[in-house]
Amino acid sequence: MAKVALITGVTGQDGAYLAELLLEKGYEVHGIKRRSSLFNTDRIDHLYHDPHIAGQNFVLHYGDLTDSSCLIRIIQQVQPDEIYNLAAQSHVAVSFEEPEYTANSDALGVLRLLEAIRILGLEQKTRFYQASTSEMYGLVQEVPQKETTPFYPRSPYAVAKLYAYWITVNYREAYGMYACNGILFNHESPLRGETFVTRKVTRALARIKLGLQDCLYIGNLDSRRDWGHAKDYVEMQWMMLQQEHPEDFVIATGVQYSVRQFIEAAGAELGIALRWEGSGVEEKAFDAAGRCVVAVDPRYFRPAEVETLLGDASKAREKLGWVPRISFAELVAEMVREDLRAAERDELVKRHGHKAYDHHE
Amino acid sequence: MSKGEPKRAVITGITGQDGSYLAELLLDKGYRVFGFARQESWFRSAVFAQLGTRIEMLFGDLVVAEDISSAVEEAKPDEIYNLASQSRPGESWAHPTETMMINGLGPVLLFDAVRRVRPRCRVFHASSSEMFGRTTSWPQNEHTPFDAANPYAAAKVYAHQMARIYRQSYGMFISCGILFNHESERRPVHFLSQKVAYGAACAALGILDSPGLNERGRPIVQGGKLFLGMLEVFRDWGYAPDFVEAMWRMLQQDNPEDFVIGTGQLHSLRDLCAVAYGSVGLDWNDFVASDPALVRPLESGRTLADSSLAHARLGWKPSVNFESMVSKMVDVQKQRLMKIQNTLPGSL
Repeated sequence: MAKVALITGVTGQDGAYLAELLLEKGYEVHGIKRRSSLFNTDRIDHLYHDPHIAGQNFVLHYGDLTDSSCLIRIIQQVQPDEIYNLAAQSHVAVSFEEPEYTANSDALGVLRLLEAIRILGLEQKTRFYQASTSEMYGLVQEVPQKETTPFYPRSPYAVAKLYAYWITVNYREAYGMYACNGILFNHESPLRGETFVTRKVTRALARIKLGLQDCLYIGNLDSRRDWGHAKDYVEMQWMMLQQEHPEDFVIATGVQYSVRQFIEAAGAELGIALRWEGSGVEEKAFDAAGRCVVAVDPRYFRPAEVETLLGDASKAREKLGWVPRISFAELVAEMVREDLRAAERDELVKRHGHKAYDHHE
Repeated sequence: MSKGEPKRAVITGITGQDGSYLAELLLDKGYRVFGFARQESWFRSAVFAQLGTRIEMLFGDLVVAEDISSAVEEAKPDEIYNLASQSRPGESWAHPTETMMINGLGPVLLFDAVRRVRPRCRVFHASSSEMFGRTTSWPQNEHTPFDAANPYAAAKVYAHQMARIYRQSYGMFISCGILFNHESERRPVHFLSQKVAYGAACAALGILDSPGLNERGRPIVQGGKLFLGMLEVFRDWGYAPDFVEAMWRMLQQDNPEDFVIGTGQLHSLRDLCAVAYGSVGLDWNDFVASDPALVRPLESGRTLADSSLAHARLGWKPSVNFESMVSKMVDVQKQRLMKIQNTLPGSL
């Protein structure tokens, strides 16, 4: 019998890669997506199975982490062997605008899933993966950060995620559930949401290259992050649920770059050589023709910045043999390539007099 | 605030032990005291019976943003003391969602209302030593990392961190008191310390089956025995009136800051039983038994307060010691039970 997995957040970057991975491994995959007036399944369209054709092994359910009764109903119906909780209000800056919703989905949502497993008596059957985050380290208490590093969250997003982390640990220890946290450092890909900094950079520079956009406005250039590829990271999510005992793991590359370095790498990939001038909020970058293509805009500063994050994934390497396969350079190149392709399509469409959406934030 | 006008304070959780002591303290200091509570809990409370005419009430529910927001708008407070809580860590396993709503989300709705309506208002938030859970650093101060061991603690950590984020991100005056256990004769009987005091009072009066019921609806003392959970628990138990004094002092500082508030004295549950039963000349071993049904799924460790910061900055130290607090609690329980015995002769 095929294993059955339920993925919350299936329409997101990680959800799409994980669904693909699990389908390759022969799972029956169920995903939960929120109802939206716009199509929101772009990232998983290629996995879609026509329900009119027999042998459907990828099924989507409408649901929401803020709705307990729907979660209980879906879990009861699906009887999953594994639940991957990837759904979240995942944008740090937005969490300052929407702290209550962030808590409701990112903190209480996890509790609702754990309670649903318990209420349905599935504690011994269903394994639970919680997507924790390096943002919980916030104002870092040691460098690099590992499983034992104390947390110091700096945003409503990070605090909500920390609650989810604790409640997952509590349910594991109190009820003997197979539940674990993957503490994931930043992980990117061409499927990353357009408002996250890496994707924002590759998309903007590709569009600038083709003359669809003039300038990239950016927040803190000196933020340093440990950036990996989402495809590597979902592999580790799956591995964490295949062990004898549930444990928490840091997932990271152990290499750190600044936002400025990311911009330079993406620019180089596109053949845009950048010359930086000024400092602080006045800092700008010019291309070879002397056009300002990057400028700092304080509106993208967070009320409280997380300056540096660097993960130490030795435990994952030693215990599970996990190492990231895709390098930073390959990640940047792939993201730039995909965004350039999309920009070329938009440019072509526009040139022929059709409408292409600019999708401003 | 213009000169001569009294300071205005809002207390959430005014119907509880700390709320009642704090209301008295602030009234004594000449404050205009506003209480925030649900209507049904207010009119049933002892605080209403005693201070009802001196407190202005704003009715609402802490987890409803509109309620807390209009309360802040109406009271125009200089200080808010957020004491409302689902206050039983053990019960949080049975009601984890409700606990997170009240202990986690409620405070955030409050901070957000203050930020919008009354950004210069000073806020005290009641954090808890339960946040340290099974920590191995000992004793605990303001820098000890948290290790939440139950849904109550996880929710309290959430609110505590959000308080810091509102303070750091928006420059608000929010101070958290990381309060270690604090008891008094006003504790309801389903709290551990009061259960023991109640048990000792029953033993002293020869009551075999108590009129008071535990959280499972059974007599607290049954067949002459008091049933407790795990006896191997250690706590730092202080006296609640001392703690509300610390809360007030925290809001009179120049800058907002978090403080650990506790006595720095560790006692086991066995010590508590020994002092309580000893105060009425009895040996607790004859009256107390452990009931596995009352053991929490995960127990917190030995938490012990290091309140040196509060001592240095606030000049705060506890004024009542463990032995006198426990004997007083037993004594008050005895008086209450005797009153019931007198009004209902033969009923016990």
